[in-house]
Amino acid sequence: MQQVWPKIFARARTTPAPLASVMVLLLSLAAGQAQERSRLDEVLQRGSLIVVTLGTVPPFAFKDDKGELVGFDIDVARLAANALFRDPNKIEFVIVTSDGRWPAIESGRADMGVGGTTVYPDRAIRVAFTRAFIDSGISIMVAKSSGIKSLEDLNQEKYTVANLNNPQMADRAQLFFPKAKIITFDTPSGEFLAVKSGRAQALQIDTPTADYFAATSAKDFEVLPTLLTASQNNAIYLKPGDFKWWLWLDTFVSELRTGSLFPKYAEIYQKWFKKEPPPQKFYLPPAR
Amino acid sequence: MGQYRAWLEAYGAAFLDAAAWTLGVAVASFVCALLWGAILFFLRLNGGAWGRRAVDAYVQLLRNTPVLLPIYLIYFGFPLVGLLWPASICGGLALVLQNGAYICEIFRGGYKAIDRVQHDAAKSLGLMPWTAFRKVTLPQLLVHSIPALGNQAVLLLKDTSLLSAITVVELTMQAKVLTERTGAAYAPFLVAAVFYLFMVWAIEFLTRLALRGVRWR
Amino acid sequence: MTPSDLWVLAQAAAISLLMALASIAFGTLLATLLTPLAFAPWRLLRAFYRLYIFVVRGTPVLLLALLVFYALASFWGRISPYTAGVVVLTFYLAALIAEVFRGGVLAIPRPLWDCCTSLGLPRLSILRRVVSPLVARYALPPYLNVCVMAVKASSVLSIISVWELTLASREIIERTLDVYRVLAVAALFYFIMCFAIDRLGRQLESRLAARGFAGERL
Repeated sequence: MQQVWPKIFARARTTPAPLASVMVLLLSLAAGQAQERSRLDEVLQRGSLIVVTLGTVPPFAFKDDKGELVGFDIDVARLAANALFRDPNKIEFVIVTSDGRWPAIESGRADMGVGGTTVYPDRAIRVAFTRAFIDSGISIMVAKSSGIKSLEDLNQEKYTVANLNNPQMADRAQLFFPKAKIITFDTPSGEFLAVKSGRAQALQIDTPTADYFAATSAKDFEVLPTLLTASQNNAIYLKPGDFKWWLWLDTFVSELRTGSLFPKYAEIYQKWFKKEPPPQKFYLPPAR
Repeated sequence: MGQYRAWLEAYGAAFLDAAAWTLGVAVASFVCALLWGAILFFLRLNGGAWGRRAVDAYVQLLRNTPVLLPIYLIYFGFPLVGLLWPASICGGLALVLQNGAYICEIFRGGYKAIDRVQHDAAKSLGLMPWTAFRKVTLPQLLVHSIPALGNQAVLLLKDTSLLSAITVVELTMQAKVLTERTGAAYAPFLVAAVFYLFMVWAIEFLTRLALRGVRWR
Repeated sequence: MTPSDLWVLAQAAAISLLMALASIAFGTLLATLLTPLAFAPWRLLRAFYRLYIFVVRGTPVLLLALLVFYALASFWGRISPYTAGVVVLTFYLAALIAEVFRGGVLAIPRPLWDCCTSLGLPRLSILRRVVSPLVARYALPPYLNVCVMAVKASSVLSIISVWELTLASREIIERTLDVYRVLAVAALFYFIMCFAIDRLGRQLESRLAARGFAGERL
């Protein structure tokens, strides 16, 4: 036995094995590049959809008291799985915090993402968005006891407004109440605590979220009349560069809002927001 | 490379500002935490049974709970009793309270490492207790504690990132704001990491200096 | 907050604890391999040790988690976020623990080293009979510090979809806005876990307390 080992090593040193394995590796890499296929094909082959989402943005995506992930965006994702596989349960959710969305998409860990994510030009440089599947306008909530009744009331130096750290709110604050002071939190609960503790008198928050809280846990707050300005498009996001996958997802959203899937869309819209969605045939003048 | 340069030009100043905040809060909190930890340790040594139990309870409470709790309580709770302190002070106070507990434990470990013989020798030499402490115990205590204190300083620096929850725009918050705005997966955090690494290097350098200054030959 | 919320938090606490224990175990193992590097006679090894401590301790754990999870995944294929979480925490804790052990070694009085060399003890013997027991005693309080920190350290991993106590409490808070109550319950869970670790550590400390060391009354 002891004499066999040196002989094996001697042979290994002289065979072309190392060179061959390197060549095989290079070739397979090249082959991999050549057969780069769309995420859509990969999803169809896998038989399930992997969606990255947040878990802390009611009513878009959050955990109910049993710890189940629920929400409007979750239901939209399930509709997508249904459209692909005829089964809304062929889906896997990867729940991250808000900074974790982009690495999940970019690395290919998830096929697509949802979760109250707003389309914004700066983001669109690195992340691809479908068209919006919901307009999530921004509202102001104030404590009922504060006496603030309108935006003009708010635009005074004595007031502080709590924002979330997203660019839409910062821009909006600059536009509508530049005189008020701004403090920025990374969660809505921080904003609410700020108002409750007296550090701020008002907070900016997504309209559906405002409605959700006003109905459930923030009954001593009221929502100022919605700002009738630019809509905030929440959409599905995915890795850019994959036209086939983006086309399917965009077509799906289009069908949701204006096509064959509209009844289902209306159903989940009713369920989460307690009102009718925008009309399917938006290009027609409103009925008399 | 070009896009990174454009990126840095656009957001570099914001990062420097945030780094200044991080450094300021970290340094101020660490100095105060050292003082607070020393006070706590002193109380533990000389406060008798009650002093020891009180400090123990305090240390247990603050070490074993997430530091976010005191941060929240101070920032959101103090205004309810009329104290509207700025966010950095509230956060700094919470960090001091917590790290003081850790530092007291570090001093305890350092003290235990000193041979009892040293204390007996000092007593037999007739040294006054304060002189004994200053000339015998303290240098050895420092030598044993300084590496762990350096460690704690680094941890405190990292803990300043928790102040992002109460509006302090420090490095991690700045990275989060940029990630939110631009959808960049790693770049903002990498830039923040470079700043953190630089500060950690400074801490390590200072620790080595301190150790060299205190170590007896 | 409902009882089922409480159950959810308890499950999350168990996950936090398990991850912490696993990372502490592996991290300590890795640290025992790292600390000798700090005292190696070869400059390269010492430099490597310093570099490792510097990078792993200085980089925010958030970024380490992202890098390990996503960059590593491109080599190893899909790995579970929990595996990646334990790996990240292991490397991170190993750095902290190695520094704690190094402090312990530095605390050994110089006369003791001289005694060992004059007695002509072999390297391994010195390690086993002199260094290890002493380092175990010197380093135990700061080591407990690190263990307690490990339990709370997993909160950062939520960025790579690790579900644990901090994320679970965050989810309930964002749904109910019941900040203080949920945070208090989460803090209570953390307290119970960390306190248990601390008590175990104290017992170990008193068992190891040797006569002649000033601190035994402490």
